[in-house]
Formats: sequence, C-alpha cells, structure tokens
Amino acid sequence: MNAKQRQWAWRLAEKMLAPNIVERLRSLPIRDLGFGYDAYGYEKESAVLGYCFGHTLYRYYFRCESRGHERVPSKGPAILAGNHSGVIPMDAAMVWMDLITRPSKPILLRAVVDNFSGFLPWLGTVFWRCGQIVGARRNFEDLLTDKEIIGVFPEGTKGVGKPFRLRYQLQNFNVGFVELALRYRAPIIPLAIVGPEEQAPMLYNIKPIARMFNFPYFPVTPLFPALGPLGMVPMPVKYFIEYGEPIHVYEDYGPEIIEERPGKVQQLADQVRLAVQDRVDRMVEERTGVFTGGLSVEMGG
Amino acid sequence: MPRRKLRNVLITGVTGTVGRHLAGHLLNLKQIGKVFGVAHIDRPYYFKEFDKKRFLYRKRDILKYRELNNLFRSDAFKAAEIDTVVHLAFLSSPNDQSSGVHRLNVEGTKYLLDRCIESRQIKKFVFKSSDAVYKLRPHNPVHLDEQADLNFDPDADQWIKDRVDADMLCRSRMDNKSMKIVVLRFSNIIGRGVGGQFNAYFDDKMLFAPMGFNPLLNLIHMRDVLQALALAVFKNAKGVYNIAGLDTAPVRTIAELAGARVVPLPEPLLGPVNRLERAFGLTRYYYQVDADRQKYTGLLDDSRARKQLGYKPTARVQFD
Repeated sequence: MNAKQRQWAWRLAEKMLAPNIVERLRSLPIRDLGFGYDAYGYEKESAVLGYCFGHTLYRYYFRCESRGHERVPSKGPAILAGNHSGVIPMDAAMVWMDLITRPSKPILLRAVVDNFSGFLPWLGTVFWRCGQIVGARRNFEDLLTDKEIIGVFPEGTKGVGKPFRLRYQLQNFNVGFVELALRYRAPIIPLAIVGPEEQAPMLYNIKPIARMFNFPYFPVTPLFPALGPLGMVPMPVKYFIEYGEPIHVYEDYGPEIIEERPGKVQQLADQVRLAVQDRVDRMVEERTGVFTGGLSVEMGG
Repeated sequence: MPRRKLRNVLITGVTGTVGRHLAGHLLNLKQIGKVFGVAHIDRPYYFKEFDKKRFLYRKRDILKYRELNNLFRSDAFKAAEIDTVVHLAFLSSPNDQSSGVHRLNVEGTKYLLDRCIESRQIKKFVFKSSDAVYKLRPHNPVHLDEQADLNFDPDADQWIKDRVDADMLCRSRMDNKSMKIVVLRFSNIIGRGVGGQFNAYFDDKMLFAPMGFNPLLNLIHMRDVLQALALAVFKNAKGVYNIAGLDTAPVRTIAELAGARVVPLPEPLLGPVNRLERAFGLTRYYYQVDADRQKYTGLLDDSRARKQLGYKPTARVQFD
C-alpha cells in the first residue's frame, strides 16, 4: 500500500469500528523493515482492512463468543493448536479477530495456512499481509525465535474435509508442532472451536473432481453445488472459541526425544488433541443451539 | 615486526560495473598489493585513473584455454604474484541466449577454476553468484539459507541453468586443499549500469506484474556488494554464503518508489506481452527468468555471512 491507501485504511477503520478497537489495531506490533512490511509480508494497514472486513463476519454473521483469553500469553513463543473444520475454513480468521478484539492486550496471531494458498492469486497475498504464514518449518522456527504466537491446525486438511458424520471428532494430529514446542520451549495452548462444523456440512466428497483440479477435496453440501458458487457461502452458525490451559511439554521432556523417542512425541501430540477434544465436547454439550443461543456456562460477549 | 603480506587479486570480467567498482575499491585498501584485471575487450578509458603500478589490465578470453594458460604463465602474471581470483566474467543479460553465453558462463568458469587449482599459486577463488539459483515455490519458507533447494528444473530458462551449473561447479571443487573457494549468492543488485533482472524491470516506466501476487524482494546496494566481495577476499573462509541487502519490500512498492506504474495482468499473458515488449525494444527485462520470483517470496538468509565473514549491510538503495 502507498501512503494514501494507508491513510484510507485507517479512516475506514475509524468509521467502521469502535474507538477502542481502532486503538487496539494501532497497538498491534510489527517488525517494520522500513517500508511498512515485516519479513513475512505482514502490513499493519492491510491487517486493519482485513479486520474491517472480518468484523462483520465476526460480530454479526458468526456472532463469535470466546473464553480463556487470559491463558494466551501476550508474548511468545507460544503455539495455539486447534481443531479445524468448515469446508471453507473461517475458524482461523475468527480466532485471529478474537485475539485482536478480546484479550487485555491485542495479540497478532501468526496462523499457519495451507501450502496451496500460495498458489492462489490474491488469497495468498491477503494472508501474508494480515500476518499469516505458509507452513514451512523454517518459518515456524524464525517466528518462535522472534517470540511470536503461532496458530496451528495439526489436523490439516483431514479436519476441514471430513464428512459431516465425523463432526467434532478430531482427526490425528501431526507432530511437527510438538517438536517445535520442545525445541523452542514454547507452551502449547489447546484451542477449541465449535460452530464451523455446521456451517457447510460435507455430505460427500467427489474425489475424482478433487483429483482433477488438485484440490484436497470437492465437497457436496446441502447448498453446494446445488446453488452454484453461492452454495459455498457458509451458513450463519454461531461460533464458540475456548483457549485451554497451556501444556508445557518442554518441562518434562527435552528436544532429544524427537530423535530418540518418536513414539513419545506422538503421545504428546495426542495429549494435546485430547485436551482440544475434551473442550470441544464440553462446548458442544453446553451450547443451546447451532444458529442461535449460547452456552449454558457464561462466555465473554 | 614482519611485514604483512599484501594480497594480489585477479578480477575476471573487470570491465563490468561490479568489476570496475571492485577494482577501484580494492585499490583503495592497504592490504591489497596489485589488482590484475582481465576482460575480453581492449583496455577501456575508465581505467586511466587507476595507479598503473598497482593495476594491470590484459585483454584475454577466458573461454580459450590456451589464452588462459598463457595468462597464468605470463611474466606479468607471475610478477604480480596473484594469490586470489574474483570471478565476475558472467554475462548477465538473459536476452542473449546464444551458445556463446552458455560457454562463457559455465565452461569459462570451469576452465578458470581448473587452471587456478592446477597453478597452486591461487589460494582463494571468489565467485559471484545470485539468488536466481534457488527454486522458488509457493510453500518454500520466507528465508532461504544456503541449504535451500536449487533450481534444477529441466524446464528452467537457460539463464538460470547457467547460474546453477556455474555455482555447482564451484561447489564440486570446494574439497580441494590448495585453494579456498567462496561462492557469494547476492540478492538483487540495484544500481546504475548494473545488469540483473530486477534492475532492468524497475528501469521501465510501465511494468507488467502477475495479478494477485506481490512477493517481497530484497535489494542490495553496490556498496554492500563490494563489502561482501572484499570480505570474501580477505577472510579465512570457504563455502557458500548468501548476501542480502538492507531493503526488503513488495515488488509493487519498489516499483512505485522507482516511479513506475504497475499494470497487473493475468499470469498467462505476461510471457507473450514481455516477448512483444522485447521485440520492440521497450524493455530489457526478461519475464521467463523471473516467472516464479514474480509470484513467490524467497529472501536470502545471510546470517552465515554475517557470522563467518563479518558482513553487515550498511547502504540503503536510493530511488530517484
């Protein structure tokens, strides 16, 4: 963005958002390399535009509620590991919004996005400008060294593309994030998100079409492909987000177990998965409705 | 107190912009005895200002093994007691795709390397490579260290293949004990008269770029290039080093600073449009070489050079 566009972004934010939110956006940290961008392509004003756009979704469309922000450290290194779902996943974006909006100090989450995002014009650029990163190990290492907070979805596309009958049943977690937590002494914060599973229930995956276009899956939902591209718009379900107690895997084990005891690393990944699953199950039980209502146990509004 | 031995440096491709500046830079250093410049053209006028006792120039074609041999055996060369070679003879314009270019870039490098090793007189060989050797993909990390994948793509442009081949030739001879080989992979050198892809790109007033992509680019100032080359000459080091500059920004931000207007086009159109532009002499930029770099970010991680060579970029690129 040039200087004019940046001013415009701030003016838009001032018009659209409450003053305290604009203040929060202003206080977002950035390691500016001199042109308003950090080494990963993050630009504060682009994040402001992203927030303005996402604000409507966050506040009015998905009506996100969340709890447990006090468990997320304001400074890294830390890894948020959560469940991932929704066919066209919006959960990471909602967590990104939530961590700017609700903790005592705004937090810029560096969420890891799928590798194929980089192939796609515009989408990749939007992600990088809002502070998201591609899931290359070196990126993780650099960000943890820089004491950033990283968001991972260790189920990968297995979680996003699973059929509706498996909703809220977490798929196996990859172990990479545990290895990094051990190496960089980063706490893992279990992140549970309830709601996205119902936004686009996947009834069937047409694998031959997915293979043809090199997509991870090609979904059939109640609305897609019946309504054409419109059918890809997620339904206005209500989102609930909970941040769990940090798991300090590095307190009991050193990085040497990555080589010596890979089974143990898998066990630690499973421990995190179970922690997320436990909170997901509890929230699914507590919620009073998919599209409306709330949780029987109070959450931050 | 014993007198410290001065370094005597042979520079191939000394008539290029980097070579010319390097010769001047080295001659200003007290630790340098003589600079021996070699290029394939007659002695240019701009070397007149150099001290004739310390700067020698010979017109030689390093592609001709006999000429190269004769150079190494010549009295002038022996008298100069050359102990270091900085190899800059590399044709940087991708618009020239003739076999002669490939021969100079790859075979010339091979001849020179072998001759230097055989001579046993040369203790240090410095090769200027570039970040174009790395393979860029949408999922590569933002920072590329020296171990990152090179572009061995069989469909890659010959310009890139030459760079990778020459780089690999240097690496394949790094184990020899008589001569230390240093390969410096520079990011995009920006400056007047310097070849290089993005230099040509930002020279244009109207730039075409792929729609929906705007990767980060690192630029390096000539002063830092000279700093890195001089450090490679003097430091007791060998191996491959990435050399990055101070300025990192998205391509379009740099284009705007350079006063150019960016026109986004769908990616499949960029190649044909660029071919047309070149056919009419409207640009020196060769899109095919940079198709990936126009979409994906790959910044050089120069921490190894900072640690082992003591390299520290100091100059920011100035845009007119």
